[in-house]
This record gives sequence, C-alpha cells and structure tokens, in this order.
Amino acid sequence: MTSARGSFLVRNRLGLHARAAAKLVNVASRFPCEISLSRDGQGANAKSVMGVLLLCGAQGTCLDVEAHGDLASEAVRAIGELIDDRFGEGE
Amino acid sequence: MADSVSSMRAIPRLVVELDGIAGSPGLSIGQALVVEVRRPGVVKRRLAKHQAADEVERYQQAIARASRELQEVAARATGGHIETSVLQVYVLMVQDQTLRENVERRILLDLVCAEWALDLAVDEIAAHLTQAPDPYLSERSHDVRFVGDRILAVLSGQHSIVQLPDTGEPVVIVAHDLSPAETAALSRDRVLAIVTEVGTRTSHTAIVARALEIPAVVGAVGAVSRIGNGDTVIVDGLRGRVIVSPSEDMLDTSKRRAERYRALTSELRALHDRPATTRCGIHIHLRANIELPTEVDGALAHGAEGIGLYRTEFLYIDRPEPPTEEEQYEVYRRVVETVAPLPVTLRTFDIGGDKLAPSVHGPPGLNPALGVRAIRLGLAIPELLLTQLRAMVRASAHGRVQILIPMVSTVGEFRAVQKLVYQAMDEIDARSQPRAAFIPCGCMIEVPSAAMMADELAREAAFLSIGTNDLVQYTLAVDRGRRELVDLASPFDPAVLRLIRRTARAGERQNRRVLACGAMASDPLGVLLLLGMGLRELSMEGAAIPELKEAISRVTMHELEQLADAALASSTAEEVERMVTEGYAPCFADLLDGAPAFEPDPNRGHSVNR
Repeated sequence: MTSARGSFLVRNRLGLHARAAAKLVNVASRFPCEISLSRDGQGANAKSVMGVLLLCGAQGTCLDVEAHGDLASEAVRAIGELIDDRFGEGE
Repeated sequence: MADSVSSMRAIPRLVVELDGIAGSPGLSIGQALVVEVRRPGVVKRRLAKHQAADEVERYQQAIARASRELQEVAARATGGHIETSVLQVYVLMVQDQTLRENVERRILLDLVCAEWALDLAVDEIAAHLTQAPDPYLSERSHDVRFVGDRILAVLSGQHSIVQLPDTGEPVVIVAHDLSPAETAALSRDRVLAIVTEVGTRTSHTAIVARALEIPAVVGAVGAVSRIGNGDTVIVDGLRGRVIVSPSEDMLDTSKRRAERYRALTSELRALHDRPATTRCGIHIHLRANIELPTEVDGALAHGAEGIGLYRTEFLYIDRPEPPTEEEQYEVYRRVVETVAPLPVTLRTFDIGGDKLAPSVHGPPGLNPALGVRAIRLGLAIPELLLTQLRAMVRASAHGRVQILIPMVSTVGEFRAVQKLVYQAMDEIDARSQPRAAFIPCGCMIEVPSAAMMADELAREAAFLSIGTNDLVQYTLAVDRGRRELVDLASPFDPAVLRLIRRTARAGERQNRRVLACGAMASDPLGVLLLLGMGLRELSMEGAAIPELKEAISRVTMHELEQLADAALASSTAEEVERMVTEGYAPCFADLLDGAPAFEPDPNRGHSVNR
C-alpha cells in the first residue's frame, strides 16, 4: 500500500467551479487508489463532484491532495498538474 | 400540421397575445404541449430493517437509469457545444459518491425509503452550498436539486425528462422554465417551438434553442396559465411574440411569414453579399447587434456589415466577481478577429438598471432606470471601467474596434470617460502591448439631455449611436416594463422623432457618423423614418437584415425625406403611424405579414390594410 501527498494552489480565477470540479473528478476517477482533498481541515472525496464543490475552493485556496493505494503518487501528480494548469482555463 | 390546425378552429376561442423575448429565430405554428415541470412528490415511507438492503439496491438502479438518460441527452445535444459540458456535470452529480453514500446511510441507519432519504440528502447538500460565500457556488445548489429531481423522477416511475406524447405529431413546448438538460433533450423533429415564462436572450433555454435551430420565445409571462394543451399557437421567435388561438387571418399571415422566413434562410447564402441599397442607389450600412460571441457567425451569415452593437453585459451577469481584463480580452479578440476586416463596436457595460449583476451590486434603488447604471457606474468605480477599456484597447490590435459609451447624459460625463479611454491606452502602451493607433470612441444618445446637446457631444465623440428603446423610455417617461403604458411608448412619437432628427443633423454639421439601434431600427416602417431623417447606418438583430435589405431596395431617399418631414411636423404618434403604414404597408405587404414590432391598435379607429 503506497501513499502520496501534495499541496497545490488553486490559481484559476473561478476556483473550483462546477466544470473544474468535474475535470478534477474525471482525473481522480482514472486511478484505483483512494484520493482525498482537504482545505483548512475540511476533507472531501476527490472522486465526488459534490464533495469537491462543497470545499468551496475559491481562487487562492491551498488544496492538500492525499492518495492511498495503487498508483497513489501518479494520482497526486496528475491532479497537481491539472490544478497547476488552472484546469485548462488559461487564467 | 395544416389538418390538425384547421380542426382546432372548430371551437371559437378568444385570441390571446403574449409578448416575450425573441429567444431563437424562426416562426412556427402548432399545437401546444404544456409541460408542468413540477417536482415529483416525495413519498415518505419507513422501512423494516430487513427491507433496507433491497431499498439501497433500488436506489442504485435508479441512479444508473437516471445517469443513462442524462448521458443520452448529452449525446443528442449538438456535438462540441458548450452546453454539453453542463450536462456532463449533471451526469457526474447523479453518479456522485458523496450523494450516494449520504442517501445509503439514511436508508440503512434511519430506515427511510429511498425517495425520502434522497430528499433529505439533497436538502442538506443544497443548504450547504447556498451558504457558500461565493454566489457562483451557491447558485450550484439549483444543479444539485435538479439532479435530485431526476433521480426522484426515476424512483417514482416518470422516466423521460420531458414527457412528449407519442402522437408522433411535433408540438410547441410551453413551460415555466426548462433546464439546459431538458431543452437539449428536445429534438427538432418533435418540437416545433419553445415558449417559456422566464429567461432572457442569454439564458440557457435561448442559447440551446438557437443551437438546435428551434424557434423560441422566452420571458413570455403568463404562458403556462394562458395556454392550454392542444391550443393552436403561433410562436414568432423573430419578434418575441406568441399568439394563442389565432384568427384565420392571423394564421394565414403567419403561415406566409413562416414560409418567407424559411425561404429567406435557405437563400441566405445567396442574399448574403447583396448590398443594402435604395432604389436611387444610396448605400445603407446594416450592422448586427450581438450579446454573445456565438451570435457572430449567424450575424455575418445574415449579411451584417460588422457588429454595430456588442452588448458586453453578459460577461458581468451571473457571477461572483467581475471578469478580468484577460478574460474579456480573449472574448473580444475572438469576436474582433472573426469579424475583421469589418468593424466591431464594443459597448462598455450597461449594468445597473434592469440588468443588475451580482458581481457589481449596489442597492437597487426605487427607480433603477434613473439610478447608477451604465457609465454612471463606470465613473463611480473607475477601475471596473478601466479594466474593460484596457481589454477593448488590446482587442483593437486584432481588427477594427470602436468603443461606445452608454447612457451619457452630459458632456462632462463623456469627457471624463474619454480621459479614462486615453489612460487605458497609455497603460497598454506602457506594457508594450500592441493596439490600433486610432480607436474611435462614440457616445450613445439615449437620454433626452444628450440629444439636446448632440452638437457638443458630436464635437467630442468620434461617432454617435442613437439607442431608440431607451430614448423612447426617457423621453416619454414610460417604464419599459409597464404593460398598461405600452401605447405611450411609441418610437413614432413626434417628440422622439424630433430628438432623433436633431441628433442626425448634429452629426451632419460636425461631420460625424450617426448610427441607430434598438427595436425601431429593425422594423421596416421605423427604418423608413430613420433613413428619411438622415441616418445611413443601422444596427439590428442579425435575423432582420435580409428583410430590411429587401425593404430598402424598394424606396428612394427623396420619398423618405418627404415622409420624415411630414412625420416631424405631426402632432401625435397616431398621426405618424397612420401616415407611415398607409403609405408603405401596401408596398411592404409581403414583408410585414404577421405582427410588426409596432402594430397599430385596431381599436384606434383607423384601418390598416396589410
């Protein structure tokens, strides 16, 4: 059982809005491991769009990504890249 | 369709006319299907402990089915269209783990049935989102409710999203509101037109209807209560009007208009390069009004010579924060590049008034039309306006950009804005970003005080643009939303005409272009007066352009000048209306079929033969 974690800054202007949350869930769902997101002690399942939305991650939020299980470090890296890429929104 | 329409006429019924907003162009006649999108009732049933596992199983099957239905809808929506992504989010939400676990926990621990558990779970999540500090996120609580309703509908056995009867006959859908998913689920071969009680040109229903090429009238207040199932309705998506139980005359004229529109749209490509020229050879520039970048292609296909009015408000509406310079720049750049080498007139935001955006809120005040709106808001919060101006200045590097300032009421205001425009240019230059050397900055004439000072404003501005809708409202002191005052608000009123004439003359004296936009500029009869008063540039809904080209080709400027002089010398709007309709309705009969924008009231005692 491997574990991995990373912290990423939400930089896109709209934050974790519906489509961004959906993209994140789509990426997370590609991995077999359990992945959780948290901000300020509030946690959410990264494979749940409502959970991600409920984090209310606005621009400037720092998200901790934690994964346990197969491909854990790949999963954290992929999610980190998506957040760093501003969810492909270019701003 | 014709057979069923004539059978409906057996029962004489009162003709009802509803005004709404032209959501998607086209004209359809058919029978109404009133869709009551009510929330399915929630059954509250307690379970015995041994039933819980089966109930969870039932819930999981419902999720699978609801998600399959939504996926089918998403697949049917036009490929690659932006709205499909909204549907994808719904699909994810239906399958969502957080929601599923929440519901299953209630079924297993609280021993309540799936419907009840779901209802409680949705309430909890929606309430949580509603409290989000970010208005954008709190809006998402509607999405959660929509998704909950979808699963509930499956649980209660109502499978399809909108139940269409299996008569095979296409129908006119009438609803209070339709969600994006519901609109996208409608297909062109089964739905003749859409009528909703709420919505604007930029609401999902209108956008999706345009993408599916289904005529739609949105914002038709009272539609659900005044239209019955099976009623014959005419849906005029060109003029935003719905006629219920029309008379035979109305049916005939509407059928002709529908055929004409179909013929016109099919000939569009051929007509597209035809210039708008009067019989005496004077060229008139017809440009398009747009609100959304997606409307550009349609406008150009209809033969628009560029964009005469790009309303930028949509960028500010329904969002927590005003749009950044970068975001606006990207949007403007795409429009400007697509339209180049033709010009694009970007109007700075006209928010406040009737289009309050939550991102720039203030107390609405008793009379928002007279309050802090448009340029008044821009001057009160200069950074908000400067951000937009910088984006516009940068977009000028990619084509022909003109900037237009709305709601100017004094020369001092225009000077203050002009200063901000120069400041925006300096800031772009300081960053060494490219821009056009000269960016014309124009002034809207829509407040009577501006029309009175048109000469002075024309000296300072690069061009003038008359906003006829607001000019009518402010000149006659009529709230545009008040039904009972609608007769007063006539663009044919001599007071309005004299202000327009005054503005046109000022343009001639100061050698400035004067453009007109608004409902008057897209109505063939209104256009006659505008041309006669000296205007040579009009901006309108793209769909109205082919019709106007035809109208313009039938008249000479000499006769229009005489008509305008007579109208300006009249005492009442009724006199002007009669003069124009009696003079030109016969020669425009084929163009005016159906309901023109300003239909003379038949009770007023003068008959008009159309």
